[in-house]
Amino acid sequence: MTKTAITQPEDTSFSFTQDKACLDITLTGALDQNTCPALLQAIDQAALPTAMGTIRVNLQGVTFLDDFGVLVLLHIKTQCLSANGTLTFLGASARHKRFLDMVYEEKNAAIPSSMSCHPGILEHMGDKTMTMLLDTRAMLTFVGDLCLSMTTVLCNPSRLRRSDTVIHMQRVGVDALPIVALISFLLGLIMAFMSAVQLEQFGANIYVASLVSLSMVRELGPIMTAIIVAGRSGSAFAAEIGSMRVAEEVDALTTMGFDITIFLVLPRLLATLCVLPLLTLFSDLFAIAGGLVVGVGMLDLTTHGYMVQTVNTISLDDIVWSMGKTLLFALLISGTGCFRGFQVRGGADAVGRATTSAVVTSIFLIILADSILAVIQRYWG
Amino acid sequence: MDTTLHPAIEVRNLTMGFADLILLQHADFEVKQGEIFVILGGSGCGKSTLLKHILGLYSPMQGSILIHGTPLNPDDPSAYQAILKTFGVMYQGGALFGSMTLAENVALAVEEYTDLPDAAIRDLVEIKLRQVGLAGFEDHLPMEVSGGMKKRAAIARALVLNPKILFLDEPSAGLDPITSADLDELIREINASLGTTVVIVSHELPSIFSIAHRVIMLDKESRSIIAEGDPKFLRDHSPHAMVRRFFNRQAMQKNTQAENTHAENSTP
Ligand SMILES: Nc1ncnc2c1ncn2[C@@H]1O[C@H](COP(=O)(O)OP(=O)(O)OP(=O)(O)O)[C@@H](O)[C@H]1O
Ligand SMILES: [Mg+2]
Repeated sequence: MTKTAITQPEDTSFSFTQDKACLDITLTGALDQNTCPALLQAIDQAALPTAMGTIRVNLQGVTFLDDFGVLVLLHIKTQCLSANGTLTFLGASARHKRFLDMVYEEKNAAIPSSMSCHPGILEHMGDKTMTMLLDTRAMLTFVGDLCLSMTTVLCNPSRLRRSDTVIHMQRVGVDALPIVALISFLLGLIMAFMSAVQLEQFGANIYVASLVSLSMVRELGPIMTAIIVAGRSGSAFAAEIGSMRVAEEVDALTTMGFDITIFLVLPRLLATLCVLPLLTLFSDLFAIAGGLVVGVGMLDLTTHGYMVQTVNTISLDDIVWSMGKTLLFALLISGTGCFRGFQVRGGADAVGRATTSAVVTSIFLIILADSILAVIQRYWG
Repeated sequence: MDTTLHPAIEVRNLTMGFADLILLQHADFEVKQGEIFVILGGSGCGKSTLLKHILGLYSPMQGSILIHGTPLNPDDPSAYQAILKTFGVMYQGGALFGSMTLAENVALAVEEYTDLPDAAIRDLVEIKLRQVGLAGFEDHLPMEVSGGMKKRAAIARALVLNPKILFLDEPSAGLDPITSADLDELIREINASLGTTVVIVSHELPSIFSIAHRVIMLDKESRSIIAEGDPKFLRDHSPHAMVRRFFNRQAMQKNTQAENTHAENSTP
């Protein structure tokens, strides 16, 4: 006879005796949420004999039994009972009957779900490939839809929701101006500062102006602005549209007969297309201002000299090219944001994933497009 | 095409579900024009999903759906748009646009599909909101009103263009008995005065008995329609015990099978 006391002063305890084919277990006290974990542990530690033909559980002394107590009894059953053995309860009161029935109930076969089975590696790869193909198809459909809606709106401009477009222009453009300005100003400042250290050795201070303006206008201005807007607004688009999906608002729009691309995507897309080039120009300006501060403050350049050098360095072609690039980035940011939003299925976590994915995808696409354009410009321009 | 000869909705051999979950197999039923038709069934048996199939938001795995005799096919935009114009829908969660006031929500479709001047639209919206007992809440955002009020605003939005077919997904869930009875009255009035066909998903027995002309009941286990007809008749005479229990609001008898199969094990 082994006896284990679970609580002080021996309110709940567990003990067992064993002869040839019969295991007698005695439980006393309360079998509830508080004692269940300790009891389970005690049963494991007691190393009960397995595959017994008959198990008798004496519940005479049990004062309280609930679903947590059932867990203990189930544990005894699965640990010790052989396939065709019997399990009997002695001294159970009528109150406990409902819970004892639970011990006899077979576990229901789990409802098959794609989540519960562990797929093999091939299956996994196939699954991923299918997902990717479907993703690509969905993206192409989205782009096609977008082109169709664009033509519809071009033929019939009154179908565009102008007030929404203006609101989005404000959110994407005006509201982003302070952060774009600050980051660009500091960027110009840092670039001028770092390059000055090198250029000063050759007495080529004035070229700080060229360096800042050229790198900003050609590359950094468009890229920095696009990344900031992707983080601010691309994510917002995905989250807005995603939560509308979750709340069935997109379904409601569809059944009200609205073209959801015209209603939800075009205002965001056109707003981004309008304001991103402007933001980029502001970014260029503020970076040049940052460079100017360093140039005038530390390198003894005159404001006039710095500006003349800047204007001489940048050509109109550079600006046109950078505006073209910016328009492409605007398409990528708003398109990705809205597309990820529409892909949301399920609940709040899906919205979160869509938001993250929108930012990551659009930054990736921005950098990719920029690299491709750089190569094209090099060999064509 | 003369649409008056056809049933409002015909569902033919419909099999529906999601990737690995089939909810309904080879279902056939039709909704006649001008009737109040209720879809019943236990929680999670696919009532909302069936509704979304009829709305063309999900495509069936098999079978077809006809609206006033025209096949429902979302891939044919112009025909689909024409069908959607005859629909008014209230979703289970309301699905009000969160960034618009109740009045703007209701006005949205009117602005899109009619040439009414702004003042007339305002009046129309006020009338509709008053019908559902929401006078005075025009300028509230959806998040500033209670759950039941959201439902009612969504009903007003569904009603605003006097649709030929009105779909309501659990309209009275979460409403107090009086408001719920008012709503039943409103549905009956609209049905009687405009001949609107109404398709309702509902669990509210009193409301089902008072307004439904015909019901169907879906069953998750057999993935089929287990009852179709007049609710009062089904309550008393359905061959399915489950259907009678549903209407009489009885609990499922505790499954005694487990005890029987383990009789040799259990001698408590
Ligand atoms: N988009 C979906 N993807 C996968 N499964 C879904 C989806 N929507 C619903 N389901 C599943 O389909 C089943 C039926 O859902 P549905 O919303 O139609 O039930 P219901 O009959 O309307 O229930 P309730 O009375 O609770 O509203 C549920 O088991 C649900 O898990
Ligand atoms: Mg539902």
